[in-house]
Amino acid sequence: MLLKIAWRNIWRSRLRSLVVMGAIVIGAWAVLFLAGFQGGFVEGYVRNAIENQVSHLQVHHPGFREEKKIDFLIEGIDAKVAQLLENKTIKSATARTIVNGMLSSSKGARGVFINGVNPNTEPTVTKVHETIIDGDFLNQNKRNPILVSKKTAEKLKLKVRSKVVLTFQDKDNEILAGSFRVIGIFETSNAKFDEVNAYVVKKDVDRLLGFENQGHELAMLLNEPDSLLAAQEVISALLPDLKTETYQEISPDVRLFESQIQSSAYIILVIFMLALIFGIINTMLMAVLERTRELGMLMAVGMNKVKVYTMVVLETIMLGVIAAPLGIILAYLTINYFNKKGIDLSAYSEGMKEFGMAEMVYTTIAPSMYWQLGVAVFVTAVLASLYPAYKAISLRPVEAIRAI
Amino acid sequence: MKIIEIQNIKKTYNPDTVPVRALRGVDLEISKGEFTAIVGPSGSGKTTLLNIIGGLDKPDTGTVNINGTDVIKLSDNEMINFRRENIGFVFQSYNLIPVLTAKENVEFVMLLQNRDSKERESRSKSMLEAVGLSDKLDKRPAELSGGQQQRVAVARALAGTPAFVLADEPTANLDSESTANLLDIMAQLNDEEGMTFIFSTHDQRVIDRARRVVTLVDGNIESDVRK
Repeated sequence: MLLKIAWRNIWRSRLRSLVVMGAIVIGAWAVLFLAGFQGGFVEGYVRNAIENQVSHLQVHHPGFREEKKIDFLIEGIDAKVAQLLENKTIKSATARTIVNGMLSSSKGARGVFINGVNPNTEPTVTKVHETIIDGDFLNQNKRNPILVSKKTAEKLKLKVRSKVVLTFQDKDNEILAGSFRVIGIFETSNAKFDEVNAYVVKKDVDRLLGFENQGHELAMLLNEPDSLLAAQEVISALLPDLKTETYQEISPDVRLFESQIQSSAYIILVIFMLALIFGIINTMLMAVLERTRELGMLMAVGMNKVKVYTMVVLETIMLGVIAAPLGIILAYLTINYFNKKGIDLSAYSEGMKEFGMAEMVYTTIAPSMYWQLGVAVFVTAVLASLYPAYKAISLRPVEAIRAI
Repeated sequence: MKIIEIQNIKKTYNPDTVPVRALRGVDLEISKGEFTAIVGPSGSGKTTLLNIIGGLDKPDTGTVNINGTDVIKLSDNEMINFRRENIGFVFQSYNLIPVLTAKENVEFVMLLQNRDSKERESRSKSMLEAVGLSDKLDKRPAELSGGQQQRVAVARALAGTPAFVLADEPTANLDSESTANLLDIMAQLNDEEGMTFIFSTHDQRVIDRARRVVTLVDGNIESDVRK
């Protein structure tokens, strides 16, 4: 009966209850959608980082990433790629030679990382080949082809087929120079990355450096990205003299970004709960005060304070329990819709590229966020009911019955 | 058998600011089966007396013994439980629970008494039948006239099998026909089931039907007439 009374009571002032429930629905939806949007943002950022730059795992000489010394080499690198590909956790792998050098044209020069890649296996690991906006991807049949970024091309006034000179040092600190011809111009969604990277065929740069079956980097993608740490252990055991690192270790900004976005989602949730708590208190206080006489009567005829208190708490919880699932379902549908269709942020893409963000955000959210929000609304409703319920049991029946 | 024994009760409101001496030493005994009207002009103290008899208020001094219990010694929660088991209330403005039907309103007190559902079901129906509302079981208060609502209130007051029913100006908002109808029902319940009724009233129609009339003036009993 208490449940029945509480249920019917919330429909006595239909408009007021609908307004507060509407606030809960919109609030719950907004929190989840925002979390989904941020999740999509992070995922896009991480995906960009993995697909265009770091892949899931990388293997180097233990000192290479710190000092980038040219003689911190991986020996027998072709055999190691083959060895890695035998492992079932690894989807694809490629070898790279990386040197720090100068890219010069007749219009100027700039420092770049020269990535010597295998044109056949690189596309299985990164999507650089899909970012070509002019010309073609690297080709072993051409002589000394080079891929430069759009930014570099603009700065050095380069076009496809333009001639450039790469200058770098070899193991003995001797200056080497090689003439390359621009085969294609690429543009990823990370402007900072584009500024400092250029791609050549590994064999070409190896020839200049005198490398034979050597290189600096092994990059690979996994079949199951979730088993990142397990795969790292397997490969570390397989190549004990080398250092195997995950993309999170290689790009700490990814991990930082992930954790910051997560905590900002919780901050938004707390703000939502605070706003909601006052909205509910206001509504329930009105509901209690306009029923003074009735509450007095209930206590007069023998309804004890525990039951009166429970009734008010139940009414409040019901408001939340009806509204929260609606908000959650609405958020689920919206997040799923934009997970497939994506949200086009290309209007802001210039600024976003500076930070390595994708133009399209595909909303995504951890499923646990749905029930966490449900629990948050429930807890908020319970907290918000305490004061109005206390007000209700503080009424003295003798005065309440005569209240106008 | 005496069910209410009140001795020398005094009650003053606002003792520190503007004292209003509502009761100045009232003695009253009411026995089972009485049909009593407490009358008097406004401010005479009849509502205060009724609130004290009903356990809704406590006097400053004096003793109040209801159905063998010294109610002054009871805590707030004990008082709520005591009222639930011993006293039926009928209020001037009906005070039914607006979200419940007539039958549910009548059942409500029995529910608070933890009676089983079968008993609640049959007793609420028979109580509403007794007040002539067997065809209005599923109507909510807003769908009933004032007279009908007050009859539901009487059925509710009786449903919990109280020791007596307190009615605070029960006919104040009713027309003549509804008043006569309500009084007939209460008189019949008094005659047939020996239910004790205590009213506070200004209404001459109620005073005429009462079998005992206690008149209060300025916080004192001026007369106590049994017909």
